[in-house]
Amino acid sequence: MVLTYFRRAYSSFAAHVFDIPPRLMVLLFLMILAVLPVTGLSSYYLRILISANILAIFAASWDLLVGRTGQISLGHSLFFGIGGYTTALLFKYFGLPIWITIPIAMLVGALISLLIGFPCLRVKGPYLALVTMAFPLILYNLVRWSPLIPIFGGEFGIRDLPAFFPELVVREQRIAIYYLTLLLLFASSVIIYKIANSKTGIVFVSILDDEVASKACGINVTRYKLTSLVISGLFASLAGCLQVHVLGVSNPPMFLLTMSFIPVILTFLGGIGTIYGPIVGAYIYLVLDKYVLTDLLQNSLESFGVVLPSEFDYAKLLIFALIVLILVIKWPRGIARFTTDKLENLEEARDLDERGPRIWKRYKKKEKN
Amino acid sequence: MIEEIIIFGSIQSGLYALLALGFTLIYGIAGVVNLAHGSFYMLGAYVFYVFGGSLLAEYIMDFLSLYLGLDTAAASLWASLLILVLAVLFVAFIGSVVYRFTMHLVLGDEVALMVVTVCIALIFQQIILLIFGPTFPRVAWPEGTFLTESTLLLGVTLQYSRALAFAVSLALFLGLLLFITKTKIGKAMRAVSQDREVAMLMGVNTERLYMLTMAISAMLAAVASILITTTTTQSAGAWMWLHPLALSFSIVILGGLGSIKGSLIGGFIIGFAEQTVAITVPEGGGIIGVIPLAVMVLVLLIRPKGLFGKRIEMED
Repeated sequence: MVLTYFRRAYSSFAAHVFDIPPRLMVLLFLMILAVLPVTGLSSYYLRILISANILAIFAASWDLLVGRTGQISLGHSLFFGIGGYTTALLFKYFGLPIWITIPIAMLVGALISLLIGFPCLRVKGPYLALVTMAFPLILYNLVRWSPLIPIFGGEFGIRDLPAFFPELVVREQRIAIYYLTLLLLFASSVIIYKIANSKTGIVFVSILDDEVASKACGINVTRYKLTSLVISGLFASLAGCLQVHVLGVSNPPMFLLTMSFIPVILTFLGGIGTIYGPIVGAYIYLVLDKYVLTDLLQNSLESFGVVLPSEFDYAKLLIFALIVLILVIKWPRGIARFTTDKLENLEEARDLDERGPRIWKRYKKKEKN
Repeated sequence: MIEEIIIFGSIQSGLYALLALGFTLIYGIAGVVNLAHGSFYMLGAYVFYVFGGSLLAEYIMDFLSLYLGLDTAAASLWASLLILVLAVLFVAFIGSVVYRFTMHLVLGDEVALMVVTVCIALIFQQIILLIFGPTFPRVAWPEGTFLTESTLLLGVTLQYSRALAFAVSLALFLGLLLFITKTKIGKAMRAVSQDREVAMLMGVNTERLYMLTMAISAMLAAVASILITTTTTQSAGAWMWLHPLALSFSIVILGGLGSIKGSLIGGFIIGFAEQTVAITVPEGGGIIGVIPLAVMVLVLLIRPKGLFGKRIEMED
């Protein structure tokens, strides 16, 4: 009796308070992130959070292209690497300051995505994913090619790049970088979210739903696909620039398939087709990776005298690949979407909400022979 | 130089066609873009390496020399060939099991299939790293057999192992073509690729058929892997799956996804292009991975569906 009353009270509370969950949760999330450095977090964790911010930008840009427009790209590291290498080369040869090289690198990333968009978007489905996979592989081989070592630095890449805020001391510099990346993450995610929910974004989703039908409605499908790709490339190269200047080096592994796979992991952890999903996924990923697996598990085991072999590092990616495998097969909606649904108790709204990730509907046909 | 290009180019092309055939087969029949194809390639080399160094190899050697009365060289030759067969069957088994428990569950969803197969590829990569670490085992035929010797053909030193590789790849290719066009199972495969539901109504067990296709596909990758790694100087490594994957998808896209003839022709185009660049361009070795991808992009600019873009059912 009392329990029923509480349940009803809770559901009415949930219906009224969590009625605007995205904004509320974003605000809460942002507040937590904003006060984190002040609480005296160690520099090590700050560095992890910085890379979480950067990867969140990267993953959100992937989600706009794949989750919203349905253009499967498995070579997103192309833009990441191009952003990084452009700003590095601009610094190395022209000595330009960071504040000029990063916008130029973003523009170059957008331009490259426009260029590869023409051959890529003529092809569909599996062809598209395979072609997009090809470009980072080409560049990975090119930047390591021995005649080009004087330009790209070969295996070691271009090193000794300037950091942000060189005039500050270590700790303050890191906090400043943290706030900078957080600000950029906020700005770019708001832009991506606004685009995804604008008129253009609705057209993106219509392309995802049914390309032929959108074409029949008089939509210039190619132009919208290119728009999505260019926006995505712009923000992915921004992430690449930030990464390069935080680490101080731009090297060939930026073009690797594992790098392209990171946004996939993040997006599936968070929930595909929602721009906020991958951002939440980035924090889940890095907290799982660096905190739970490294600090909690490894260090607590070490305090008991159990030293994990150095091969444990290899097991981490294995664990994440397994998690994504299980998520894709069993739970394709991701963690963030699942949580918001639970909070809002919106079972019936799920169908309305299913707008974006329509591709994730399975053709569940019982096979019995 | 031209003789070198012709001989080595055709050997390499045959192997590449074999590699791409597996990729195109599973797409044409089950509609799976199997990005884990490179992993089966990698598994082939590693399983061959492990089996070759295990007690199994010694038992087979003992058996051959004691009961069949072969001398050491012949025994080690036949033992390694037997181990090749065993390794390939093992990889085929792994392939079909992996297919059944992962890809089969998301069949019909292209994006999920790709993500799942990339996951599988990464899982295999990490497993290999966990077991072997970042070492590079050398996969080779046993010393002292005639496979490591060589002969002169058109003024080019040709190892017998390469000749064997060419013969095996051609035989497998023709055998598979016959299997698909002439046998009843092959007919069922073509039927499923045309229309899955109707084939099911006609009594085709699609699940088993897909598992068989995946087994064949993994088998072809493993054969190609063992033949390539034993005949060239490249050694095995946990990242060795990426280049063959890039190769197979560029060949397959070049020829048209799902077309068997296309994969043969694409294999020859890319094999010869790579070999020409490797022999004629100085420092060309470092850029060899780019050639297939560049050729693929060029072809796609002209023909967005590849040279022979159609599904398997159209070929008879």
